[in-house]
Amino acid sequence: MALELKNTSLKELAKLYDYISMCTHCGNCKYGYEWGKTANFAAMLCVQGDKYHFDSYRGSRGKSAIAKGLLSNKLQWSDAVSHVLFTCTGCGACQQMCETDIKPYILRMFEALRYEAWKQNVAIPEGIKKWSSTIGVNRNPYLEKHENRLDWLPSSIRSSLPKKAEYIYFAGCTASYRQKNVALATVKLLQKLKVDFTVSEDEWCCASPLLRTGQYDLAKEFVEHNKSLPDKYGASGFITTCAGCYRTLSRDYKMDPPEGYTDKFGKMEGVKVIHTIQLIEEMLNKGEIEFTGSFNNTVTYHDPCHLGRHAEVYEAPRNVLKAIPGVNLVEMYRNRKFSYCCGAGGGVRGGFADYSLETSAKRVREAESTGASVLTSTCPFCWRNLTDAIEMTKSPLKMVDIVEILEPIVKRK
Amino acid sequence: MEKILLNFERGTTQILYMSVRYLILKFEGEKLARGNKEILAKLEQIVGQEYVSNEEANLIPYSWDLTWAEPRMPDYVVMPKTVTEIQRILRLANHQKIPVIPYVNATNIGGLCVPEEGGIIMDLKRMDQIIKIDPETCYAVIEPGVSHAQLSAALKATNPQWEGVEFSKGFEFGWGVHPASASVLAMAINHGIGHLNGRLGINSQLLSSMEVVLPTAEVVKIGSCAYSDSWHSFLPLPRMDGLFTGWMGTTGIVTKLGLWIFPIRPYRDVLTIAAASAKDITKYMVHWRHYSLCDEVTAVSWWLAQIPITFPYKDKPKDAPEFFSYTVISGWTEEELEYKRKMWKKVVQEEKARGTQLIDFEYPEEAKRGRTELPSRIVGSTKNYSKSCGGGLAWPGTFAPCKSWPILYEKWKEIYIRHGLSPATRFTDYQGAHYGMLRCMTPFDKRKPESVKAARDAMVECVRAGIPLGMLPYKPPVEYMNELNAAADAGYVYLMTKIKDMLDPNNIMNPGKLGVR
Repeated sequence: MALELKNTSLKELAKLYDYISMCTHCGNCKYGYEWGKTANFAAMLCVQGDKYHFDSYRGSRGKSAIAKGLLSNKLQWSDAVSHVLFTCTGCGACQQMCETDIKPYILRMFEALRYEAWKQNVAIPEGIKKWSSTIGVNRNPYLEKHENRLDWLPSSIRSSLPKKAEYIYFAGCTASYRQKNVALATVKLLQKLKVDFTVSEDEWCCASPLLRTGQYDLAKEFVEHNKSLPDKYGASGFITTCAGCYRTLSRDYKMDPPEGYTDKFGKMEGVKVIHTIQLIEEMLNKGEIEFTGSFNNTVTYHDPCHLGRHAEVYEAPRNVLKAIPGVNLVEMYRNRKFSYCCGAGGGVRGGFADYSLETSAKRVREAESTGASVLTSTCPFCWRNLTDAIEMTKSPLKMVDIVEILEPIVKRK
Repeated sequence: MEKILLNFERGTTQILYMSVRYLILKFEGEKLARGNKEILAKLEQIVGQEYVSNEEANLIPYSWDLTWAEPRMPDYVVMPKTVTEIQRILRLANHQKIPVIPYVNATNIGGLCVPEEGGIIMDLKRMDQIIKIDPETCYAVIEPGVSHAQLSAALKATNPQWEGVEFSKGFEFGWGVHPASASVLAMAINHGIGHLNGRLGINSQLLSSMEVVLPTAEVVKIGSCAYSDSWHSFLPLPRMDGLFTGWMGTTGIVTKLGLWIFPIRPYRDVLTIAAASAKDITKYMVHWRHYSLCDEVTAVSWWLAQIPITFPYKDKPKDAPEFFSYTVISGWTEEELEYKRKMWKKVVQEEKARGTQLIDFEYPEEAKRGRTELPSRIVGSTKNYSKSCGGGLAWPGTFAPCKSWPILYEKWKEIYIRHGLSPATRFTDYQGAHYGMLRCMTPFDKRKPESVKAARDAMVECVRAGIPLGMLPYKPPVEYMNELNAAADAGYVYLMTKIKDMLDPNNIMNPGKLGVR
């Protein structure tokens, strides 16, 4: 039996064929597992497989089978193919588990499959189609007007921000239009800590939703626009509070394939990208932060996939939480590289709202099982989905971003 | 004369049977095909809409596996959760004469879950409960969907005890070098191997009771569980479990399995050595396992020791040993471990003294850890085999008398090199002097038909060469079964066919895999 490359019209996918072929079909990707002298972990990590069960949905093995099938003409495009492709949150758990040589290319393969899907006569989720049709004008996937992007920022703060600064705070679409609490807490925190930053008057979506859903062509102008911002503001870096923006700016804008998209959009060079939590950790380590109060709660931390598995930032948020007076940090069973996605990523929240919420409810139940009263994270998109699940399940948990915990109780030393 | 007649009878019957079956399938194909809404609706009625699919997007991952087995599309995939649902599916399948292929992860080595004649893939992954772990009688009862990951984590967290007094920390089963997502049950009933083979035998020797749904949908219990809620032993009853072990899912669906579990010994070490030839390493292994002091003793050829295995074939450097061997020893105290080390050294010294060409060799720490921290997603990942690109991996995996190892190795080596493949061979002893594993890990390029053909041809030739020397392939693909059947005692094939016919009169269970039905 041979799986020859026959369908070269699928150009983006065909480019990856040599790597896709390295999936041996072993199935390591289907389940989270580690056992060693100090480890004894076993749990389901693939949210898509947890919901839809068929092997096509579970881990990367099914998707690589679909890719191989399409490229060898053993499988034709259909709505069912599209459903498998677009119900993946791109959480990276399968990539984490994979030990074969397709590993670094798994997420790129998913996105290339979606890129090809857009060109076929198959059902793309309506929710994704809707925001995709307006993002070129609105510059955000929330169908909101671009000119309202900075409405979250009180004029008093806005007027106090410098024209030139070391950092640009890149709020991202979710914090700008939905979780304004996170954006506001961030700028207040940065001001308290006397960080040299400003906010761009013309920030566009970082392009994460476009890249994650395979819309490379649309993404191009977004990447090019945002790349030009540091020069405009004399900045040497971006600060983000959104894990998705962090992943996109630090990986897709800056790294060569398969981690990033410099092959398509060129490389953003000489610009530092830092998540707020990394900045705080750095300042704590330097002794630059003084706590003026405490946060007396048992807290559990949810690793956003885009900050955790995608960028391997696991310890910074924990170190910061541990440093906060009064915080009793407890871990969920599935944490760090073995975290369980909130269910929002990869276009899933927009495309399949019920399934997305069902997934976040599972995560909320896991958080409850720790005995924590507060669920925290470092991503406004996770914040939204987990908060919706908390409300839906009437969970006693309270959702707060770490910047919201910090902002009222810190000052610069 | 009797054998000739039986063979004649068998051949004629088989031809007649295959012809009739072909005609039935041809005419009924349309009726059974995946577009049949009536069958789909009935399956949905049984398990619920979300657990059935006839969409090609959902069927394609079930159409092939790691190996060169020819891909075949199933017509439906269905995921039952209960024994009752399995019964109802089988009744439907019998009524409609649709093949049913039991499936969990398809990480066997010979296309066992590839549906030769289409039909229903019965994906059992939702039946994933560890029903019981008895830390006093030392057995566990599991469903088919329980993975090695799940069971190993649960066993590690359970302590051997009696009336609440704990003796030590954790249990283990025979963990093989396969992905941790693989099914423990499927591996065990198909004679899978594990890391305790040298001490305890292969995993199917560690089973204690089972519940089976017969192809005709009756539920039966076998072993002590047939009489009480205790799943501790098949003995002293007639060994009816043999009707369902090694049959590759062609005689029924095992829905619950009792298996013996073993306390984890806290002290463990890996001792390594190399040898100039297959003959030398076999001498050493046979001598060492004579004392029954190790959990495992394995040897790998130079080609299998390479990461990745060289593909295509390249010559071994002249000064490199032909074989490398590791043995895992364990104990309850450091003294016990030290005694085993001393005995091992004694064996090595004695062998060297009598001219066996053993070469002192220390494995890297990571490689040693890979042998003591199983199941491991790294060891079981096929990582070492995929770098050559193309993703194909198969092996002639066989049980063979140890004295055949060196002879067969030389034969296999010639065959492999002729086909441009590396003779990445492994010998492993199974519990004493009786038999052991002989196999050859074979990466190949699935993107190229000629590479697939070379791998298949080489492996079938190896099997053909080995059968007269006592070698028997395990989890055999259809091509190996054909070789086996051609060489088998006629009475053996007759009985196998008769049992299959008795249990599965409509031949719905994974048809085509036995080469006789």
